[in-house]
Amino acid sequence: MNARIEVDGETVSAPRGAMLTAALIAAGRWVLRAHPVTGTPRGPLCGMGVCLECEVTVDGRPATRACLTRVTDGMRVWTGTGGSAS
Amino acid sequence: MTGAPVSPDACDVAVVGGGPAGLTAARRLAAAGLSVTVLDEQPELGGQYYRRPSAAVIERGGDHRPAGGRLIGAVRDAGADCRTDTSVWGVADDGRTLLLSGPAGVATLTARYLIIATGAYERVIPFPGWELPGVTTVGFAQHLAAGDGIRVGERVLLAGSGPFLLPVACSLLDLGVHVVGIAEAGTPYRLSGRGLLTAASFPARLAEFARYVARLARHRVPLWQDRVVARADASPAGDHVASVTLAATGTPATPVASYAVDALCVGIGFRPQSEIARLLGCSLSGDPWSGDLLPVTDPTGRAGQSDVYLAGEARGIGGAGRAAADGEVVAAAILDREGRPGGDRRAAARQRRHARFAGHNARLYPAAAELTRRLTAALPDDVHVCRCEAVTAGQVRAAAAVAAAPQHGGADLGAVRALTRAGMGPCQGRECQATVAALCGAVAEPAGMARMPARPVPVADIAQLAGTPVASTPEVTG
Repeated sequence: MNARIEVDGETVSAPRGAMLTAALIAAGRWVLRAHPVTGTPRGPLCGMGVCLECEVTVDGRPATRACLTRVTDGMRVWTGTGGSAS
Repeated sequence: MTGAPVSPDACDVAVVGGGPAGLTAARRLAAAGLSVTVLDEQPELGGQYYRRPSAAVIERGGDHRPAGGRLIGAVRDAGADCRTDTSVWGVADDGRTLLLSGPAGVATLTARYLIIATGAYERVIPFPGWELPGVTTVGFAQHLAAGDGIRVGERVLLAGSGPFLLPVACSLLDLGVHVVGIAEAGTPYRLSGRGLLTAASFPARLAEFARYVARLARHRVPLWQDRVVARADASPAGDHVASVTLAATGTPATPVASYAVDALCVGIGFRPQSEIARLLGCSLSGDPWSGDLLPVTDPTGRAGQSDVYLAGEARGIGGAGRAAADGEVVAAAILDREGRPGGDRRAAARQRRHARFAGHNARLYPAAAELTRRLTAALPDDVHVCRCEAVTAGQVRAAAAVAAAPQHGGADLGAVRALTRAGMGPCQGRECQATVAALCGAVAEPAGMARMPARPVPVADIAQLAGTPVASTPEVTG
């Protein structure tokens, strides 16, 4: 059973209960932000909450680690917002 | 720092980390009648080893580690208060109050005993191209495969060191991934007679290993030894890894062969997550073999004469079996101090047996400290070693020359951090401190470098805890 989530305003189908990183990768969205200093594209590295490369905004909450977040139907995700916790 | 707690809360035992060690301790202590709170930042308990698969994966193929589900159920049945989605980001001045951030914002939890079971994370040493999307840890590939049934890539190369590379390659094969090859930095699979004899004293583990090797051979997956990643290169669009170049371990800057990939998974064993232990003021000592800081504990896991205990890989790398035994040993020690029965008296023997196996296994692979030193020495000056702050190897080398302090066995690392900002970004140096230390000539990462918040917390939430407006919040975010 799939959930529908919104990523940067675009509707994406994701397995319900999947980790958000997995759903994003399955949808071909590896790049989750541009590095604030170098501008280079960045994607998830560790998948377990320690590297903070996968920070996105979920339902208005910034600095949310996608690798610790399960997909729910109707979830709204904004990429390109990482680094706000530092 | 403590101010007026937002939601004062107390329990007998707070367990930080709901993996094999923390869950085992929590089950025993809650069953014995103590009030136990388990804190974990993941959406479900289980830690990395018992990470819960998604509902969709369980429907299709079941739970690949059903023992984890049973253990979690037993912890809940024993009455432990389980708080998931909850990060521990700091410690109050009393040394027994944890600062939490969870679904309802910030909170505090004061406990008579603290069990730190925060587990481990993978060691990654930088190489040119390591920041490209599509370069991940080996563990992330495993979580994607086992937890979500998602392929990290279609053509995947695994590189690093340690036994973990083999089962993950098999998980990828299960999903139909083309595993281009496995590059192991050491030569552990040229077993000497003595190595085989020692391995044979752990027959179950030897059989498991043999199954992986047979599976990889059947799929003709090359297992290259004495090979490390020399560099990774991007696709024409520049936003994904497209090729990997390998080199011999002794000469990491001299390419041997290149392979087309769409994912590269790297990991050189595991390192303890020690931030909470550091924030609690636990004594740590540099381990010359791994280069990591290990908390100093007595045989029961107790830090000094404190009420803080360490269990599982937060105390030292040893696998899930030893972690579970650690959990029982810590629980028995706390129950003894409370004068309560119910501790498992046989756990210490299991703990020693697992530790023996882990020690033997570790010696098959290169010493991480030496490998780190060798790989970082060969790093080109323009490679970012600190991903968060975009600090290059050259900048760290230059700062190390300025901050030379030969009497400390290398440069003054605090000064190097201040000069370059290496290790001062959101990840708190978890991904780069070992590399920075090696570039500065240190044998092991220095102690005393943890700071709050150990996990990302919105500044407004911290202000809420301190009871002060955002504008006057002290500089706590680094």
